[in-house]
Amino acid sequence: MKQKIIFIFICFTTFAIAQTNYSVSLIPQNLTEKANTIVRSESVLIIIDSPKSYTKITKSATTVLNEAGLKNIEASEYYSNSEKVKNIEATILDASGKELKKIKQKEFRDQSIADGFSILTDNRILYLDYKPTQYPFTILYQSEVESTNTAFLPKWMPLNDYYESVQNSEFKIQYALDIGFKYKELNFEGFVIEKNSSQNAIFYKATNLISMQPEEYAPSFQEIAPNVKFGLEKFQLEGIEGNAKTWEEFGTWYAEKILNGTTQISEETKIKIKALVGNETNPIQKAKIIYNYLQEHSRYVSIQLGIGGWRPMLADDVDRLGYGDCKALSNYAKALLEVVGVPSYCTIIYGGRDERDIDKDFVSMQGNHMILAVPNGNDYIWLECTSQTDPFGFNGNFTDNRNALIIKPDGGVIIKTKENQAKDSHQIISGNYSIAESGQIVGNVELKYGGIQYAENVFTSRISDKSELDKHFKEKFSWLNDLKIENININADKSKILLFEKMKLTSSNYVSKAGNTLYFIVNLFNRYQKIPKKYRNRKFSLEIHESFIDTDEIEINLPKEYKTEFIPTNYKIESKFGSYSTSIEIKNESTIVYKRMLSFNKGIYSKEDYELFRVFSENISKNDNAKMILTQKN
Amino acid sequence: MNSEKKIIKLLPIFLLMCSISIAQNYEHGKVTIAELQQKTHPLDSSAPAAILFKVGTTRFDVVSDGDYSSFAIRTEVKFKIKIYKKEGLEYANHMVSFYTGGTVDEKVNYKDAVTYNLVNGKIEKTKLKSDGEFIEEKNEDFSIKKITMPQVKEGSIIEFTYEFNSPYITKIDDYFLQTEIPVDHVNYTIYIPEFYIYSAVISGFEQVNVEEKSVVETGHSSQKYVYTLNNVPAVKEEDFIINIDNYTSIIKYELVSISYPNQPTKKLAMTWQDVVKTIYEDPRFGDELLKEGYFNDELKNLMKGNEMDDEKIKIIFNYVKSKMNWNGKNGIYSKDGLRNAFKENIGNVAEINLILIAMLRRAGINANPILLSTRDNGIAYFPNRTAFNYVICGVDVEGKKILLDASDKNSTMNLIPLKAINWTGKLIRLDGSFDEINLQYPKNSRENIIITANIEQDGKIKGNCKRQITDYYAYSHRNRWKNATEDAYLESLENKHTGLIINEYDVSNINELDKPIIETSSFEYDNAVESIGNKLYLNPLLFYIQSENPFKSIARKYPIDFNFPIADTYNISYTIPDGYKVEFLPDPLAIQLENSGLLFKYKITHSENSIQVLVNFNINEFVLPASDFEGLKEFFKTIVEKQNEKIILIKK
Repeated sequence: MKQKIIFIFICFTTFAIAQTNYSVSLIPQNLTEKANTIVRSESVLIIIDSPKSYTKITKSATTVLNEAGLKNIEASEYYSNSEKVKNIEATILDASGKELKKIKQKEFRDQSIADGFSILTDNRILYLDYKPTQYPFTILYQSEVESTNTAFLPKWMPLNDYYESVQNSEFKIQYALDIGFKYKELNFEGFVIEKNSSQNAIFYKATNLISMQPEEYAPSFQEIAPNVKFGLEKFQLEGIEGNAKTWEEFGTWYAEKILNGTTQISEETKIKIKALVGNETNPIQKAKIIYNYLQEHSRYVSIQLGIGGWRPMLADDVDRLGYGDCKALSNYAKALLEVVGVPSYCTIIYGGRDERDIDKDFVSMQGNHMILAVPNGNDYIWLECTSQTDPFGFNGNFTDNRNALIIKPDGGVIIKTKENQAKDSHQIISGNYSIAESGQIVGNVELKYGGIQYAENVFTSRISDKSELDKHFKEKFSWLNDLKIENININADKSKILLFEKMKLTSSNYVSKAGNTLYFIVNLFNRYQKIPKKYRNRKFSLEIHESFIDTDEIEINLPKEYKTEFIPTNYKIESKFGSYSTSIEIKNESTIVYKRMLSFNKGIYSKEDYELFRVFSENISKNDNAKMILTQKN
Repeated sequence: MNSEKKIIKLLPIFLLMCSISIAQNYEHGKVTIAELQQKTHPLDSSAPAAILFKVGTTRFDVVSDGDYSSFAIRTEVKFKIKIYKKEGLEYANHMVSFYTGGTVDEKVNYKDAVTYNLVNGKIEKTKLKSDGEFIEEKNEDFSIKKITMPQVKEGSIIEFTYEFNSPYITKIDDYFLQTEIPVDHVNYTIYIPEFYIYSAVISGFEQVNVEEKSVVETGHSSQKYVYTLNNVPAVKEEDFIINIDNYTSIIKYELVSISYPNQPTKKLAMTWQDVVKTIYEDPRFGDELLKEGYFNDELKNLMKGNEMDDEKIKIIFNYVKSKMNWNGKNGIYSKDGLRNAFKENIGNVAEINLILIAMLRRAGINANPILLSTRDNGIAYFPNRTAFNYVICGVDVEGKKILLDASDKNSTMNLIPLKAINWTGKLIRLDGSFDEINLQYPKNSRENIIITANIEQDGKIKGNCKRQITDYYAYSHRNRWKNATEDAYLESLENKHTGLIINEYDVSNINELDKPIIETSSFEYDNAVESIGNKLYLNPLLFYIQSENPFKSIARKYPIDFNFPIADTYNISYTIPDGYKVEFLPDPLAIQLENSGLLFKYKITHSENSIQVLVNFNINEFVLPASDFEGLKEFFKTIVEKQNEKIILIKK
């Protein structure tokens, strides 16, 4: 064991990029297939001297085969008041490995990383803005960064993106004893990775990792690619020391060192809030009143400066300014709830449609978003404080079904947020349409959305521009040509989380004429059109992101002069991914009723299931287009 | 077609008119309860917010620095904004960027920023404090000053003023009279000292009122212009528009000449001739064109001495195109010199094309720079130096004119990148004279499809397809797929057309830029036929069917831009499966849109066991005025419906 460590050490000190031959011809062929970049060699050394600082030294050589590979060049470093770039430089080599150009630190671009107006931050980036004159080329890169934020440590992720392969990647992390160093390896299965460790260091090495290609309905890259994350039990964040072995301890630290002292509210506002709540005694009803007040009196503006990236703005300031980011608004809501005696807890979470958990087994600073948890018996009501429009306690797909860290005064607790089922995302379409002999149809329809589908569609209730609404529905019913939409009536019931859209539709020539027959697609209002891609060789598991259930019931009035010649047969598919059925019931000679039901079950399924899911979707789409034929009565 | 005339037809620009307007006070601090109570905008109920007024003034201040004094620009803009809806809250944030890359920095200051709310029937004022002001240092050249107003909610009114100070008198920022929210009143006053002459132009569809008057100030007199506009509707993005700014009302100013006392007048620009001359005389342009030492050796190697002009042009063009790499930047001036660019094999558009021109000239070819404005950059309505941001090469050979752009690897003789085709350019000759050049590509880009297919008993189609694409179709294909594998391309086709499987595929002329791209493939397609009862319903155009009308909106305000003229033909022949016969064939159709060069011809015929489908589709005029919209929509409705008709086969 000892010998190995010495060997590793030598390995590092002799790692000398310039002497190596980086001719493109030396890359094994299996690494260039379906790759835009090849990491020829990468070595990262991290030295953690104390909980107060660490140093990261990076050296890498990456060959870029084509223009698409430019974005895989990781020649950049973030910096701020807590992170300093000591050195950064690059050298460009041509395909034979001959030097073309040297790029010094001052030639790197220096830019703030604010993207769009409302984000204000003191984080900056130094990046290489290199316009290649030839492909392929190889870029040698080295940098040294010192950071005093040990609450976050760099991770090792040898494969950084799709279409990138790795010839050789090494990572060594060296740490002081007694600072509670920890690490977690993820997605190593199926990859050859060497590992060595000693009392105060870990070393990883990966060779010949072949590039991966993105696939639809697959887990995110993070969940597929091998990586190792690191953390410390004794750490520092923007000058504040922390100590956390357990979530309980971490939560206590967060409550005391970060949140404490931020919830003061002026007497004036207290009086106003108490008056607003009045005689209400039910804590949930009180929370509803306050959430509504928050939505009417604040807006989301993101400001991330120094510790302000972690500590909320003072509740008093939010009160005075009427804006804040997720932390500031959650904390402000908490302060208002305190005034009326309702307990609530700031909750750290990963926001996004990808259901990313706070990793329960890895106590550390995590998350990218904050919401507020209001206790409700044994359960919690989750408040998204950055939204001015969400219904009270609506836990939509930005924060649902994932582990979150609730910060209670006596410590942190990991709790899973609400899991939305198919019934929590529903749509019911009811209506009718009449066919004229000319081929024109006139229909009246009501679309009713609930739960997550409410949240996805409720914006229509806020559009008052007629032409914009017209455009929206024409896109929604894109298969109806020459569509005329009248009497649009939209109604959102925020308390019941229901949205109603009613309208009258007219489409000339919906029905095709051929000789003495008329034919048309029976399903007018709701067609499933997203058929997953076909892969000759599927590699990743299947992930269905959302559950939902749609039901339709449509009455169809046929022209009196025609009789039915062909009626699509009733259809039903049951599968683990969901179920689908359609039926047509004949009420009388000229009236039929079309019924349709489609539901999806979210989840992660095996890669073998992908093709079954694709066929399932294809069958739905096909049957959604089933046609009916009418012939003229003599 | 005369393109100048066309611009006038499509882009109404209003020349300055003098008239008398009633003076009104638009001042801060006069917010009324009625204004705060207003729930929606009176003229546009859908507006999330509105600018109640925007009042701007630009003055030239005398700045003394010891013995030396000069002018600096000071622009002050006052805003009053009403927030109607939650979607409008973003208008409570404002920002102005300023240049920090020169010897003197520009400066931006916000002041008098107040939010007004109605609280219990009373007007409540909240002032912006320093904690709502931020500076973002974007990069070495630019910073951005931002404010975010306090206590803003639905119904709030906000007021603020910003002052912009700049020592750079050649550049007066564009003043937007129109935005994506309605503007009730907008006004711009500018005092121009007698020493300067600026030209002004107003783009867009709105009629702006202008007053002009002489005023005496300390030490000099000035010319005062006041632009006023009321009830300006919001601008809205629509499909088939290349650059919405071309249709937005904006005041643009350009310095024409400087005449300081006791000094000769320094002309910067006045007529297009002046503009062109000024640019030509700039050392970064004309002087650079005269240098040739750096390429002489290479040119000698390229030229054997007895080529025809045509050949020389081709050799030099291809040489520069393959040697030089575009660094992604536009521009009309060389940045680090042509010699350096040549050495480094990389340069901006000007550097690459000026090298091309210099080499062609040295080889005895009549080559000249053509200045133009890209589509992104908008249209140059008026003689001004900043109108141009791109330069290409124009060659006269045997009475023919050829356009060349060596900065794009996939461009060919006469076929310049689409971004550069924006009405007209100015060709500058050696003697400094210029010509207006029509940049529009004279040919229609073609797509020819020939398919022979069998209809199987089960409704599957098996066939062979030959697709030939030319000009901009081919150019776009080469640019789009240059980095992709063949698999990725085929998968994208298969995914676009559900039910399509491409078995064999071959493509030729991908790298022979002068030739059309020809793709041949064998395919299976199971989404064209529906078997119902004893009949087969066949969609005659297979996956080339256009199933939706791209024009869905009720009305159209702006011209419709199709990018480039096209001519498509589809020739599909089917073998009828045994045991079936034709029961129904859609009727032929031939229509065209009057005056617009849109044409659609459709004809299906059959014999004993085969069916022939022949379709032609042309767009000859690729920009149509908004007045053609109704006709266009109807045209597409008709052709989409026709394409969606089915052939019916019945079992014998």
